[in-house]
Amino acid sequence: MTVKIAVKNLYKIFGDASEEALEKVKAGMGKAELLESTGQGLGLHNVNVRMKEGEITVIMGLSGSGKSTLVRCLNRLIEPTGGEILLDGENVLAFDEAQLREMRRKRMSMVFQKFALFPHRTVLQNTALAMTIESASLKEREAEAEHWLGRVGLDGYGASMPDQLSGGMQQRVGLARALASNAEVMLMDEAFSALDPLIRTDMQNLLIELQRELKKTIVFITHDLDEALKLADHLVILKDGAVVQQGEPQRILLKPKDPYVENFIGDINRARVLRTRSVMQSLQTANRPFAGDVDHDDNLESVIARAEGEVDRVYRVVRDGQPVGALDMRDLLRALVPAEPTGLDDDDEETAA
Amino acid sequence: MAAYDFIFDGLGLRKWCDADVKADRPMGLDELLSKPTAGGEKSVSAWEFPFPSLNALNDACPALPRSRDMTKGLEQAFLGAKDALSYVLDPLTQPLSWMLEGSLWVILAAPWWVIVPILLLIVQFVARSIKLTGFVALSLGLLAFIDHYDYAMQTLAIIFVCAFLCVLFGVPIGIAMSRSDRLRRALLPVLDMLQTLPPFVYLIPLIFLFSVTEPKLYGIAIILYAIVPVVRLTDLGIRLVDTDVLEAADAFGMDSRQKLFGVQIPLAAPTIMAGVNQTIMMSLAMVVIASLVSAPGLGVLVLQGIRNLELGTGLVAGFGIVILAVILDRVTKASLERFETGRRAQ
Repeated sequence: MTVKIAVKNLYKIFGDASEEALEKVKAGMGKAELLESTGQGLGLHNVNVRMKEGEITVIMGLSGSGKSTLVRCLNRLIEPTGGEILLDGENVLAFDEAQLREMRRKRMSMVFQKFALFPHRTVLQNTALAMTIESASLKEREAEAEHWLGRVGLDGYGASMPDQLSGGMQQRVGLARALASNAEVMLMDEAFSALDPLIRTDMQNLLIELQRELKKTIVFITHDLDEALKLADHLVILKDGAVVQQGEPQRILLKPKDPYVENFIGDINRARVLRTRSVMQSLQTANRPFAGDVDHDDNLESVIARAEGEVDRVYRVVRDGQPVGALDMRDLLRALVPAEPTGLDDDDEETAA
Repeated sequence: MAAYDFIFDGLGLRKWCDADVKADRPMGLDELLSKPTAGGEKSVSAWEFPFPSLNALNDACPALPRSRDMTKGLEQAFLGAKDALSYVLDPLTQPLSWMLEGSLWVILAAPWWVIVPILLLIVQFVARSIKLTGFVALSLGLLAFIDHYDYAMQTLAIIFVCAFLCVLFGVPIGIAMSRSDRLRRALLPVLDMLQTLPPFVYLIPLIFLFSVTEPKLYGIAIILYAIVPVVRLTDLGIRLVDTDVLEAADAFGMDSRQKLFGVQIPLAAPTIMAGVNQTIMMSLAMVVIASLVSAPGLGVLVLQGIRNLELGTGLVAGFGIVILAVILDRVTKASLERFETGRRAQ
């Protein structure tokens, strides 16, 4: 798959003399030291991420880790201090005002944590926002907006005002507004964090369902690991503005790079998140007859349930009807124990590129 | 013997001080009073030792100016600049005179059975409340019944013109202030001054600049006094617009003009309307005071009541002003409310 957005050596320093501070940071000064000596805040520190077309890249970290800064740098709501952002090979940072607006209208839409709907416009008008700016004809706009409201499950709410809707419904409007711009890239800044857990799950499922069909390039910001693991094709973990580890989520779970990441993933239910494909061995290693078939995308929890607690079974893992590997229950149990950090950089192909 | 003689004697300036004393210079009142009746200079006791003010220093050294010279100098400077100022300001403000004269003429030339229904229609249109319209009809009817119709209409005409101009200039100034912190810093002290100056003080320089027979004299005084709230609240309203919403507008590629007219002004509208309400109320307050400089209307009757001690005339006119105030306040508030709720449930 081609790379849609490439972030290269991105730095963001908050403060007046950011150019000077940038030199100091590049020379190796840390966040705390910089703040103490110059009073400047280090927002992003040499971030390199490649976001592939049609994938959901989840950027995750605790508050203050720079994840919101990073996503705002992509459409330049925040101006980065140094580095490059390539969208389809074009450097976003070189865009002038008009090009930038054009990009925001047509190529990169955004969903916000606090919804940020226009309270003085109807749901339909809110949904049609991007098209209104482009000055499409009224009829066209309304038809398109109606269509997307239908897709997010808000048929018939077009004439309501945003504050008449519940939080979950408002964020559906936010999602419809972003989708209606037909941009290929969608930035989602903690889009579901303000919603209560059940609604959040609904929205995640809605997003997954829409994504299956629309194949947008989504950059999703979250501080919730379960959400990250549910949505991510590519997971980026940020700490103090720098990338700690990135790669396929299953891989990060099985091979955390340092104690920070290990800590981070320590509390989750591994049986529910890990998939059989991540812990299976090659077919040849099977030394016993298979006790049955499991899908490559099943989670370990379901396999444990099937094995009824037995540990000496081996299952055949199939993908689309083809056997792809063997799953020994012992391997499965071993995978449930969090791994020691490897300290290896084995999957950071980004740094090499 | 003056209290501060010793300074000038000590510095050896005595000669310079007494060099050009004019014997016939005008005397201050305090000077006249303290003039020793019998001969012989009295010495100054420590108890009466004066503050080293201009007047006290002048006693010791006549070459120094007195406070009244300073007042006089200010007056001279103002009179000197007056011609140049009038030359510029007169033609600029002439349209204001025409507008005021025109509206005063129209509101009185048209018969009451045309004007009153028009006013009631306007009330009904902006407030959409039969109850309020009925109240306004009753109040106007009462004023007309006690033969205060003409005065009340003159007052209303002046308020309409001045409040309209306040909004016309105040809203753009407020918008400009909200967009530039530097302009805001520069304008805030001016607004503070306009708001705290006693209304009478406005009139003093204006009387010198314009002839008292011209309506623009009181027009300018009213506008200067009443424009402050609409400027302030426009600025405030736009600054209070939710930054998240503005960020969303940015993220979807709105340019600054689209943001201003599509987001900021509509969202600030209730605050701006509150400013308009305040502006109208302040115009009413000033139009009464402006009767001192020939503004027609109910204020004239109040003034007449004070000057001639006609208690009844003054009280009735004051009552009329209260009625107008209540009408104006209720109508603008009702339209503001309609504006806010209308947005919620379209």
